[in-house]
Amino acid sequence: MANDPRKQQSRGAKSARSPWREQAESYLNHHRKVARDSAQRLWQSPVASMMTWMVMGVALALPVALMLLLASLEGVSAGWESSARVTAYLNDSVSIEEAQALKAEVADDSRVAEVELIDRDTALTEFRASSGLEDALDYLDENPLPHTLLVTPSESSRTADGVEMLLTVIEGLEGVERVQVDLGWLQRLNAMTDLLGRAVWALALLLAAAVVLVIGNTVRLAIENRRDEILVAKLVGGTDAFVRRPFLYTGAWFGLGGGIVAWILLQISLWWLSGPVERLAGLYRSEFSLNGLTFDGVLALIIAAMLLGWLGAWVAVKRHLDDIEPGEIAGG
Amino acid sequence: MIEFRQVTKRYDSDHTALRQVNFGLERGELAFLTGHSGAGKSTLLKLIMVMERPSAGEVIVGGQVLNTLPRRQVPYIRRHIGVVFQNHQLLFDRTVFDNVAMPLEVMGTPARDIGRRVRAALDKVGLLSKEKMNPLQLSGGEQQRVGIARAVVNKPPVLLADEPTGNLDPELSTDIMRLFADFSQVGVTVLIATHDIALINELGHRTLTLDQGRLVPGAAAAGGRHG
Repeated sequence: MANDPRKQQSRGAKSARSPWREQAESYLNHHRKVARDSAQRLWQSPVASMMTWMVMGVALALPVALMLLLASLEGVSAGWESSARVTAYLNDSVSIEEAQALKAEVADDSRVAEVELIDRDTALTEFRASSGLEDALDYLDENPLPHTLLVTPSESSRTADGVEMLLTVIEGLEGVERVQVDLGWLQRLNAMTDLLGRAVWALALLLAAAVVLVIGNTVRLAIENRRDEILVAKLVGGTDAFVRRPFLYTGAWFGLGGGIVAWILLQISLWWLSGPVERLAGLYRSEFSLNGLTFDGVLALIIAAMLLGWLGAWVAVKRHLDDIEPGEIAGG
Repeated sequence: MIEFRQVTKRYDSDHTALRQVNFGLERGELAFLTGHSGAGKSTLLKLIMVMERPSAGEVIVGGQVLNTLPRRQVPYIRRHIGVVFQNHQLLFDRTVFDNVAMPLEVMGTPARDIGRRVRAALDKVGLLSKEKMNPLQLSGGEQQRVGIARAVVNKPPVLLADEPTGNLDPELSTDIMRLFADFSQVGVTVLIATHDIALINELGHRTLTLDQGRLVPGAAAAGGRHG
C-alpha cells in the first residue's frame, strides 16, 4: 500500500507474465503515443507551427550558410598555397658551379618538391625582355643580377607555417644572400578566415540562444493552453517526467521542422547563387565553388536543431510546469 | 488507513486553517467531513493529497508519514488516493474513456489492461454505454459519475470526495452516496467532505465536524467508536 510506493510498483509488476518486458514495452508505447500526439498537435495548428519553423529555419540557416562559405574559402586558400614558391637570391660571388651544388643540396631536403636554378645570364635576358629597360641595361658594365634558386615546397610544407620554416632553412645556407616569398597575402587570407570563423561561431551561438528562447516561449504558451490537463495529470499521480514529456517532444518536433526549413533555405540560396559564383570564379580562373551540405551535414543540422528545440522546451518546462500544482484546484 | 496527529495548518500569521486535529480512519471505513464553509474541510483533504504540508503534527496515510515525504515521491502517494471534486475536473478535449484512463496512463499500465479496467470502472458507475462521448454531452450527475470512475479506476485504497453532490439534486446525491458506500464495503477508506447535513443524517455514517479549524470533540469521539 502507500507506505512504500516502489515496493507497490514492483509487486504490481510481478503479477504480470514477464514483468521487465511488460514494463519496458508499456514505457516505449507511452513514448510513442506521446511523440505522435505532440506531432499531431503541431499539425492541428499548421500556420502557427509553420511560423515557428520558419523562425527557427532562418536562425539556423544563417550561421550554417556562413560556415559553408568559410569552408569554401578555406578550400581556396589551400589551393593558392600550392603555388607559393620561395625565391633565393645567391651572393654575387657565388659561381655557377657553386650554385649548382647549392641547388642539389636544397633539392635533397624532404620539404622541397622541386628546385629550379636560374643563372644570372638567363635572368638578365628575361629581365631585358620583360622590363622594357633594354637601353638602360646597356649602360651597365656587368650583369647586376645574381644566380637565383626557385624552390617549390613539397605538398606537406605548403602551409604558411611550413613555408616559413623552409624559408629559415634556406636563409641559413652559405652563399644565399636573400630569400623572398610572397607570404603576406596568404597570411592575411588565413587571418581573415580565422576571424570570420570566430565571428560565425559567435553568431551561431547567439542565434542558437535565440532559437532556444523562441521555442521556450512557444512551449510556454502550449503549457498555458494545457493547464487543466497538467493539473489533472499531477492530481492522479503523474510524475514530473510524465507531465514534461509531451512538451519536450513538442520542442523536438519544432526543432525537426526548423532543421528541415533551414536545409531547404540553404538549398534554395545555393541554387540561386551558384550561377554568379561560377561566373566570378571563372573570371579569376579559380576553382572556387560553393559547396552545399553533405548528407552527414544535413543530419547533423537536423539533430542539432532538434536538440535546441528540446532544450528550449526544457527551459520552459522547468520554469513554468513546476509552478502548476493542483493546490488551487479545490476551493477554500 | 488515514491518521491525523495534532495536525495544525497555518497559511500565514493570521490565518490558521486547522488547529491540532486528531482522528483516524480504518480500512473500509466511510466518514463524512462537515463544517461551515471555510472551516478547513478542503485544507484537510489537501493535506491527505499532499497538496499542502502541515505546519505541525503528522499526517499518516497507509502507514506512511507524509510530512517528510520527498517531493518526487508525492505522485506515487497520489496513485493510492482517488479524488472526486465538486467541479469534477474532467477534460473536455477527450472522451469519457480517455478521462477515466488517465490514472492508469500515468502509472504506465499496459494498453489492454487499460481498456479492461476503464470499462470495469465505467460499468460500476453505470456509464459503460457512454465511453466514447465527450463529457460535455453528459448531464451534471453523469459527469460526476465519470469523475468517480476516474477516481476508482486504479483501485486506490483511499477515496476522497470534496462536495461531490454540491451541484446535484437530492435524488442524484443519494445515488452518488450509495456508490461511495459500495466502495467502502469492498475495503476502500472513504472520506467525503460535504455540508449536506440532511444527506448525512439520512445515511448515518461517522461524521467529523470542523469548526474554525478544530474538530468538534463530541462528533469525533463518537465516530471513533462507531467505525
